[in-house]
Amino acid sequence: MRKKITNEMKLGSGILSLYGVWAFAWFIYRYLIMGTITRPYTPELNMKMELALPLSNGLFLGSDLLGRSLLEVLSAGLTYSLTISLIVTIATASIGILMGYMAIKAPSWFKLIFDLLINLVFIFPSILIAIMIMAVTGQSMKGLIFALIITGWPGYAKIARGESKRVLALSYVEGARAIGVGEVRLFFRIIVPAIIPVMIVNMVLGISGVIISEAALGFLGLGASPYSWGAMLGAAKTVLLEAPHIAMILSLTMAGLIIGLNLLGDGLRDFLDPKEN
Amino acid sequence: MIKLINKLLYAFLTIFVALTAIFFVIRLSPGDPVETVLGQKATQAEIVKLKAQLGLDLPLFSQYRHYLIALTKGDLGKTIFGAEDVKRLLEERMKPTIILATISVSLSAVLGMFLGLMAGVRKNKIFDKISRLISLFALSFPIFSLAPLLVLFFSIKLNLFPVSEWGSLKHIFLPILTLVIPLSAVIMRVTRNKFLEEVNSPWVVITRSKGLGEAAILLRILKVCLPTILNVVAIQLSVVIAGTMITESIFDIPGMGSLLFDGIQNRDYPIVQGVIIYSTITYMIIYFLIDYINEKIDPRTQS
Repeated sequence: MRKKITNEMKLGSGILSLYGVWAFAWFIYRYLIMGTITRPYTPELNMKMELALPLSNGLFLGSDLLGRSLLEVLSAGLTYSLTISLIVTIATASIGILMGYMAIKAPSWFKLIFDLLINLVFIFPSILIAIMIMAVTGQSMKGLIFALIITGWPGYAKIARGESKRVLALSYVEGARAIGVGEVRLFFRIIVPAIIPVMIVNMVLGISGVIISEAALGFLGLGASPYSWGAMLGAAKTVLLEAPHIAMILSLTMAGLIIGLNLLGDGLRDFLDPKEN
Repeated sequence: MIKLINKLLYAFLTIFVALTAIFFVIRLSPGDPVETVLGQKATQAEIVKLKAQLGLDLPLFSQYRHYLIALTKGDLGKTIFGAEDVKRLLEERMKPTIILATISVSLSAVLGMFLGLMAGVRKNKIFDKISRLISLFALSFPIFSLAPLLVLFFSIKLNLFPVSEWGSLKHIFLPILTLVIPLSAVIMRVTRNKFLEEVNSPWVVITRSKGLGEAAILLRILKVCLPTILNVVAIQLSVVIAGTMITESIFDIPGMGSLLFDGIQNRDYPIVQGVIIYSTITYMIIYFLIDYINEKIDPRTQS
């Protein structure tokens, strides 16, 4: 029986493609219209226009604390957030798959260390680990990505271990072994394709997790860019009385993206779930 | 018995590794507490003197050894800023955090399980659809974007609750609400899904055909679902603690979170180590408790 695409997935991918178009438009605007590839455009400071209301002074969403157009700052934040979350998610999922598979195949001392490592990362609030790493590496993009990868991979590793265990017990894997497929080839050609659907569902849901973690760090003043949505929210919090619209617009923009990702992820999970059939 | 000893050993190992990691990581990270405490005008001689006083001039490993020896006596050291006793400071700052976390976790558990059951019973009816939509929204506003919105609505527009500080019942409302909204949404979803998994299983059909009332059946199903829900709470615990810390920093609550953030900012080593030890021990205790309760409820998990 073929399953139909649910409304959830349609709505989710619709929202996501809107954000995608937005990010792409900003990319064009930044590199081709207002700036060049070598000298990209950055939102201008204009102290005379600080905290302008939406639809005033020719600014669609008003301006922020430093008088930058809120729409431009939001767009910069969107591309920044998407870039970080995609890099981190792909890296963590790859490490997770590899480590999860190795946890089945490797000798027992490796399993012990693997368990201990995973438990440590799980027990510690990920924000603490990230703060610790950022304290050592300093506030840079590299440090941020590293911190998010360290806290992110155990989740994927756990899922990948469970899934690989399930796949390894299937008869076609045994068949592949019997005709002499090597370990490396078995991993890349048989195990990975078999577990990738489940991993993709978790990656879609994981992206929103990374966006939230990154924004949380930014909110606490540990972000790597002034355009982090979290950092902007932290600044908006201080002017909540004077300019409540900034916090509202920021929260809604961020929530929209996360809702889109959650809808798509949930829809995909139901779509791939064999139990429902 | 052997299993219990194994678990205890494992817990100690985890605490020890956490402690060791934080000890070295924070000392190797850039920034010097002594230079911060003395200010920029301090002479080299003063810095050296204070360092010797605090024992920070020794090699890392002998510092570590001294620290471990003191720790076995229950001494967590004194803060670098102000020379307060870390243990006393921690006990004082733990209260707000524990109050916040306990109230919000229990409230969300009750609320989430109740709503989840309601939604499960009325699967695909209006209530189910609306509550799923609301839980999706609740999960999509991170704590730090939810809190300003709540402040905006309840404190500024309606003028019902104070914006920050700590002390009376009025102060506790908004932080609790901030924490309860996302957590109860998670618990609600898990309860609903687990309920739907169980509701059509043979044992439920049999109890129903034997003529047991719906309410009694619901209670029994809830009991079967409880281990899963508790496990989710356990997994969410680190999220809760992190969330509590962020909430504390938003509402200016003098709890563990603000203590830790200040400690990291100032490189006040004993404070950071103390917070880490206390929170790791708390996790361990809660994990043990949840394990124990799960075994009591569902003997199958013992094997």
